[in-house]
Amino acid sequence: MTTPTPSSPPARGGRRAPSRIERAAGRAAALQRPRVLLALLLLLALTCVMLLDGYLRAEVGGDQRVRTGAGASDVPDEVLDGGPILTFPGGQATTLSVPDKTIALTFDDGPDPTWTPQVLEILEEYDVPGTFFLVGSMVSRYPDIVRELVEQGNEVGIHTFTHVDLSYQSDARVTREIEQTQLALAGAAGITTTLFRAPYSSETDAIDNYSWPVYEKLGEEGYTSVFIDTDSDDWQQPGVSKIVEWATPEDGEGASVLFHDAGGERAQTIEALPEYIEKMKAKGYTFTTISGAMAEQQPTGRPAAPAEASGTHGGLQAAHHQATGTTLYEGKALIAAVAVAEWTVPALSVGLMVVGVAVMGRFGMMVILARRHYGQRNRRRFGWGPPVTGPVSVVVPAYNEKECIANTLQSLARSTHPIEIIVVDDGSTDGTAEIAESLGLPGVRVIRQANAGKPAALNNGVRNARYDIVVMMDGDTVFEPDTVRHLVQPFADPSVGAVAGNAKVGNRRTLIGAWQHIEYVMGFNLDRRMYDLLRCMPTIPGAIGAFRRQAVLEAGGMSDDTLAEDTDITIALHRAGWRVVYQEHARAWTEAPGSLKQLWSQRYRWSYGTMQALWKHRGSLRDKGPSGRFGRVGMPLVVLFQVVTPVFAPLIDVFTVYSMIFVDVRSALLAWSAVLGVQLLCAAYAFRLDREKYRYLLMMPLQQLAYRQMMYLVLIHSCVTALTGGRLRWQKLKRTGEVGTPTGAG
Amino acid sequence: MFVDTSGRRARLLRRVGLLVGAVCVGYAAVLGLAFMGIGTSVSPSSLLPFGGGQNGGGPGPGGGGAGPQGGVMPTGTPPSGAPTAPTAPSGATTAPSSAATPSAATPGAVATPSAAATSSGAATD
Repeated sequence: MTTPTPSSPPARGGRRAPSRIERAAGRAAALQRPRVLLALLLLLALTCVMLLDGYLRAEVGGDQRVRTGAGASDVPDEVLDGGPILTFPGGQATTLSVPDKTIALTFDDGPDPTWTPQVLEILEEYDVPGTFFLVGSMVSRYPDIVRELVEQGNEVGIHTFTHVDLSYQSDARVTREIEQTQLALAGAAGITTTLFRAPYSSETDAIDNYSWPVYEKLGEEGYTSVFIDTDSDDWQQPGVSKIVEWATPEDGEGASVLFHDAGGERAQTIEALPEYIEKMKAKGYTFTTISGAMAEQQPTGRPAAPAEASGTHGGLQAAHHQATGTTLYEGKALIAAVAVAEWTVPALSVGLMVVGVAVMGRFGMMVILARRHYGQRNRRRFGWGPPVTGPVSVVVPAYNEKECIANTLQSLARSTHPIEIIVVDDGSTDGTAEIAESLGLPGVRVIRQANAGKPAALNNGVRNARYDIVVMMDGDTVFEPDTVRHLVQPFADPSVGAVAGNAKVGNRRTLIGAWQHIEYVMGFNLDRRMYDLLRCMPTIPGAIGAFRRQAVLEAGGMSDDTLAEDTDITIALHRAGWRVVYQEHARAWTEAPGSLKQLWSQRYRWSYGTMQALWKHRGSLRDKGPSGRFGRVGMPLVVLFQVVTPVFAPLIDVFTVYSMIFVDVRSALLAWSAVLGVQLLCAAYAFRLDREKYRYLLMMPLQQLAYRQMMYLVLIHSCVTALTGGRLRWQKLKRTGEVGTPTGAG
Repeated sequence: MFVDTSGRRARLLRRVGLLVGAVCVGYAAVLGLAFMGIGTSVSPSSLLPFGGGQNGGGPGPGGGGAGPQGGVMPTGTPPSGAPTAPTAPSGATTAPSSAATPSAATPGAVATPSAAATSSGAATD
């Protein structure tokens, strides 16, 4: 059908899995358990990717709270009045200041792919080091910038992983924020660091009772918390001269100056930096990193040799440690995992866009073409030519159809069009042939053959047909009295080689029946009308179709090359130059699969069979004439709507769930409902064309949700089966008939 | 259509499937470990080989707290770095006491971290 399950192959009418196939399927299920496992693992990985992506963008666990105005009674006065570098040697809070005539440039919130490289360029040009307080999530997303930053001789510190106000967070969260950032640093640049700056912190006198425990805790773990004493306030974008002015300390004092290299528009920062550096150099200032500033204040402090022992360049990067062992490898793995997520999510978005365009475009096209089709065929003056009144042959392949065959034949006997009925008994073991004979209906012939599959039975029937037009139906399908008359009228046009009828679901009272009812109505009314006008109908339903006998014989009859012999023969007729049309008034009532399992195996066969048929006729892509036309118009449409779209369609739901959790529940649901609304409109239109009752549309939301996932799994399963090249047994078994249906339809 | 009687494609695909499955598991595992901070030793004090012992055993003014700070200033004392480096590989279990004692004697906080830091450098090689 259509709908954003775009998938569904245009409904074909009821065919059901023969029992032997079901048994084979049971055996096959054991072989397929690894597939289920693999599918679950892929789902797990996808979930991880999505969660990671949400986490990196602070959409998961993001906490926007920032504390202001809290008291500071617990914070020692020496700290409040002290310098911007806070350490805890011996558990004792100690602060240090940047020495006079020295600037420690610090940059917060990076790395940023736009601004950080520009900052680095400036620093390199003036041969000035900086200290960058990096946000872990950004580090993991832009590891190359960090590597370059470190190699250039700058120092890095931790600015948490997700830029949260740590004073609100639990100890465990604080530890995680720090450790995750360390991992990211290890993966990106092969180092860890002991410098830390809390997000939303500023000068030491702004430390309050809630943030103080965080600094104490980190200090005890060995971290140096770095504050500022001079703020450029560049994030306010006050203009270059203001930034330079605000960043300049008074009276030749040293300063830990704050700039930002990320978090928004930073063009003014980039412009102000060179001016600022030149100005300070002119004043006789030197530039250093935080470690450099600390080293100069140490009693014995002379930056020297042991720096190499910790694997960094000189005292300017003394806070760095070489990452080793599991930390290094885990960090690299984390960076790789983030890279995968960074690629996967956009790729999935593209997939979603493809689905969106395909689904919506198809709907638009269908509604326009279905409308035109309906208008054309129902016009008062419309006719295919002189009425077709000659007798036709009806071939009924039957395999173990004892419950249905009587109904089927009796419905045919009421036909208002002259017919001969050929029942081809495909080696039934339940007395189907005897039942057919015992009915004593006029014009019924029963042909028996050893069990050879449905295509062989159909071929047998076509060979034995006396008339030029052959109607094919399933043994469990019931016709209305004038179905055959309607169905054969298009043959008045000599270019028409085959006609597809309108199959209706009889058992629509159950949930699954109702789902398929919606699907069939949409599939027949919108899809087939569209394909009819485009002259590339891919499938004549097995439940109801009529063929020119000559056309079928010329095409070599029904083939058992594929599991979808109906699609196969339809494509073959197109390639031979015949026209295939849809006759909406010829209705056949069929019984749709009654359980999810049967539905699954039916769809599996259809989708696998369709893929086989497309592959079999791939040569049409390069052909000339009608065959080439089908190859270039029909094939892409079928591939797009029956293979590609179903594979991507579940993304609609995946992204809905993602947005519901990470972005905004309301707008996510709105978007989802909008898609559903479009589907509902189309379905309602299809129902109107067929004069069906609208109440079944109530099932539609659930139907869409269920079908999307099912068709996706069916498609993937079919693709894997095609790739492995397995399932030879199914080829021989084929669908040969019917397990036993209580009368369908009515 | 699509049938491969040799079974070679099925085998190949099974291997690919195994690989993909393993990658998926690995991916989830990496994220789980990284998120929970399992299997990493990144806090500065844990980078020091004898950090734990010092924190517990040497609560003196220069002792316990100095360990962590070593990460910041390993550069401080070149001389102490040289002698301690050889001792660290000689015996990890006995080293701590010998390394720690001289540091307590030398002016305060500086010696201990440097000793620890250098040996950590050695240990992490």
